[in-house]
Amino acid sequence: MGNKQTIFTPEQLDAYQDNPFRQRIAEVFSERGDGNMTLDDFLDMFSVLSEMAPRDLKAYYAFKIYDFNNDDYICKSDLEKTVNKLTRNELTPEEVSLACEKVIYEADLDNDGKLSLEDFQHMIIRAPDFL
Amino acid sequence: MMSTRKRSAKGLQYLWRKFLRLAYNFVVLFIPWEMRIKKIESHFGSGVASYFIFLRWLFGINIVLTIMTGAFVVLPELLAGAPFGSTVSKTIRPEDVKTAQDLDTIWSLGGYLQYSVLFYGYYGSDRKIGKAGYRLPLAYFLVGMAVFAYSFIILLKKMAKNSRMSLASASDENYTFCWRLFCAWDYLIGNPEAAESKAAAIVNSIREAILEEQEKKKSKNLAVTISLRIIANILVLLSLTGSIYIIYFVVDRSQKLENKKRELTLWEKNEVSVVVSLITMIAPSAFELVAALEMYHPRTTLRFQLARVLVLYLGNLYSLIIALLDKVNSMSVGSFIAANCRRHTGSLIVLYVRAKTSKGKVKQEMHIRKLHIKSCFTGEMLKLSIIDMIFTVASILLIDFFRGLCVRYLSDCWCWDLESKFPEYGEFKIAENVLHLVYNQGMIWMGAFFSPCLPAFNVLKLIGLMYLRSWAVLTCNVPHQQVFRASRSNNFYLAMLLFMLFLCMLPTIFAIARYKPSLSCGPFSGQEKIYDIVSETIRNDFPMWFSSAIAYISSPVVVLPALLLLFMLIYYLQSIARSLKFTNNQLRMKIQAVSTAQSTFTYKLVGFQETASLIHVTFNISQRKSNLPLSSVCSIGFTFYVVHGSASELCKTKPYTPVTFKKRTEDVHSEPLFRKSIRQVNPDAFGAGAPVFVGRRPHATRYFVVNENEPRKKSARATSRLQRQFRIEEPEDIVELYPRNVRRYVVQTPQRMYSPHPSEDEEDEEELERRYIKRSHRPRSLSDLRPAPRFYIGERADGHVLTSKDLAKMHYKSWDDGFELDLDRPPYAYKKVHLKNVEVDQHYLEPHVKPKTKHMLEQSLTESDSVSIESSSDPQNSSNDQYIQVIHSKEKYLKPGTKLTKKKSKNNIELSMSEPNELVCSNV
Repeated sequence: MGNKQTIFTPEQLDAYQDNPFRQRIAEVFSERGDGNMTLDDFLDMFSVLSEMAPRDLKAYYAFKIYDFNNDDYICKSDLEKTVNKLTRNELTPEEVSLACEKVIYEADLDNDGKLSLEDFQHMIIRAPDFL
Repeated sequence: MMSTRKRSAKGLQYLWRKFLRLAYNFVVLFIPWEMRIKKIESHFGSGVASYFIFLRWLFGINIVLTIMTGAFVVLPELLAGAPFGSTVSKTIRPEDVKTAQDLDTIWSLGGYLQYSVLFYGYYGSDRKIGKAGYRLPLAYFLVGMAVFAYSFIILLKKMAKNSRMSLASASDENYTFCWRLFCAWDYLIGNPEAAESKAAAIVNSIREAILEEQEKKKSKNLAVTISLRIIANILVLLSLTGSIYIIYFVVDRSQKLENKKRELTLWEKNEVSVVVSLITMIAPSAFELVAALEMYHPRTTLRFQLARVLVLYLGNLYSLIIALLDKVNSMSVGSFIAANCRRHTGSLIVLYVRAKTSKGKVKQEMHIRKLHIKSCFTGEMLKLSIIDMIFTVASILLIDFFRGLCVRYLSDCWCWDLESKFPEYGEFKIAENVLHLVYNQGMIWMGAFFSPCLPAFNVLKLIGLMYLRSWAVLTCNVPHQQVFRASRSNNFYLAMLLFMLFLCMLPTIFAIARYKPSLSCGPFSGQEKIYDIVSETIRNDFPMWFSSAIAYISSPVVVLPALLLLFMLIYYLQSIARSLKFTNNQLRMKIQAVSTAQSTFTYKLVGFQETASLIHVTFNISQRKSNLPLSSVCSIGFTFYVVHGSASELCKTKPYTPVTFKKRTEDVHSEPLFRKSIRQVNPDAFGAGAPVFVGRRPHATRYFVVNENEPRKKSARATSRLQRQFRIEEPEDIVELYPRNVRRYVVQTPQRMYSPHPSEDEEDEEELERRYIKRSHRPRSLSDLRPAPRFYIGERADGHVLTSKDLAKMHYKSWDDGFELDLDRPPYAYKKVHLKNVEVDQHYLEPHVKPKTKHMLEQSLTESDSVSIESSSDPQNSSNDQYIQVIHSKEKYLKPGTKLTKKKSKNNIELSMSEPNELVCSNV
């Protein structure tokens, strides 16, 4: 632990700017939703992202992160945004929409064409990669 | 105190986890080329990566082989064996010394190399060497055998492990897309290159999933597909036989030519090798074209391609060998030389790959000094390995690198777009490369016995290949158009390798068993057979009793029974494995059915509710898991599954007018017995398995109960009826559900407001009536599908297993506990319900049962029997039983075919109440 780097040059910091959801995460955790965080928001973010946070809580925040338009449902446009961010617009629109449809088909248990928090949690809790 | 301890435990746990992760990261550092392979995988998909993983695995095997041969054969010989120049076999002939340093000599592994530790001929035949008396010849033989044994064992072990893994991992694939999307990003990535790789990997994984999906729902025009596939296979067969025939023909022709004239033209000299190489070049591409006809999944296509190319190669090889053998036999040479020549043809396996074979070689080799004939054989192998490597490098450079360069830089000044049209960039050809690896390994196995250094050489070669290939892939190749998912546990490559190992072992074993070792060189010189070294050692160096024991063991008296026993064992294990596989599949299907039912069914029903009335659905299967035999749990799973199907069908087909259904749900809701179930849901009564949702919903709600305890009829009939019924959506068939254990999906809804019936009595009446109707259909309900309808859910027995009376009693005890501990509902309600039930029963009994005839079917008897067995075990529930009994009589009434008198039914009730044992007997 002792030799961990604590001072970063701007270049090094740039190298860390690769998370496709970085803006979104900042928005979700900021109280006003504008991406500017108070100290409390900041601490909240760290506690949620830490290893010790319960999975339910993580699932909740993950849901919020993926819910781009803040309507409490992950709808198709949210999914498309997610896919495009993850793949850096490499997929064709057809592939994107097909993938989104499949996601909704798989996880949407109440057949309303969008994923509610319950749907999302139900799905994500079973994922082996979800920590 | 407690809390501190807890906290410290938690901290320890955290530290431990952290340590594990660190350790894992540390270990990963030592997996060779892991980063490289991951990078390739992220850019090119798992298919290409599987080649490199295979390569790495081969590398591991070769390292072990190298250690084996190096430590037990090469090093002892170098350290303790007779030094260079001490014996004839270790000395360069004086006439060769002059040319020993020539490039040409070195290239053909002549000169000093020929008399080096690389070859069989160098090893001395002294039984013991050095001061410690190391038995080199014995070690040589044993190591040679151990190489094969180890390869076999490791291959089979890996294959078994793979198949185990594929069994374990194929369980839950319901959320492929979701997981690939939502769990895709690794939030620990802090490096632009890794991020780029990760993004590429995500793209690939999504594409793979899409491809799988498309393959799944590809419209199957069966007739066309099958006919196309048949045509394709015929084409492949034709080309295979054609190629084999051509090779045979060419060899034959060249031989005739050779016999006829002395001077051959250049073409005539090389025609065999040219033809062979042409065929090996053209045929795979032809197969690829043919495979496009077949429209398989890309993974299947790859396998077919591999199998076909392998068959082609082997066919060519064997036709070549047979033709050459014919030729050799036709030459009247001494048997010893002929034998050795035959062994030379063994090396043609490899020779032909690079089209290096020609009769000239064989002829020329026949004149080589007899002393070193085996050295030459293995020398040929080593040479081939080197040539193969050079060819690989050249082809990579030429086909991939320079092509890539040309396409990249010439496309600006070319008349068409080079990058997207003709030459393009090369794709990584998985099939051919894997085959190449397999061949290479086969070469090593074949030569390893006569050239102990071959594995070491192969290790170097594989390392080089790894770097070269990975570099070429990353720089010159483009990802495949169609990325597909190649599972890590890919047994196909391994199966090919195993096949190759077997084929390569044959010539070596043949040589060991058939031929006399050369007289003046090699560790076995002077012996009759190579394997005599073992028997000689046993005879001379072990005590007397041991050799006699060995003699006994190797006598037919022991060997034949042992062989028989082995065969029987194999058969037995095989059959066990088959049955286990079957069971495994079934269990997996059941688990899937249960989980699908749990998740989908509830939600579908809820969705349906929204249009009709609100239903409260929960599941209650596994609550008494301890009491239930597995089969009954599974059968429930199946039933739920079917119900789910029908329910969703309902939702889809008539979402707005589910009148009958709605009505029914109302009825079920007011069913008194259901309330019992709620009571029963007491954690105290049922232990850990009991659900906790009681407190959450104060009202009794509606359930669908799957009735599973019906007497079965002919299963075929039942299934057909079942299907029919579901199709026409008769409300009786979706029977009630009576679930208890899924808490997550409980939807709380006020259901009273939808109730069309003002009073409970009326509801009950109607419920009963409905029940009667339902009962009339009972015998064709879901339960008929099962072999043993022993599991009871719902109003009558509440999840009883009728395997034994004790079990039933146990259930009732817990049941009663449940009643006593009930908090939600005062006890009088229960009693009242029961009374009411009885009343209603009688009320219904009177008018309907009178006009019955005296006939009673055995079938109805069994049904009532099964009920009475459980009911009679506890007097408290007798009213309940009566109720059920009456239903039965009612059912008989409604069914025109089966009739029942009032008297009979009453008798039946009495019987059931008084003499359970008799009934058990009659039931049996």
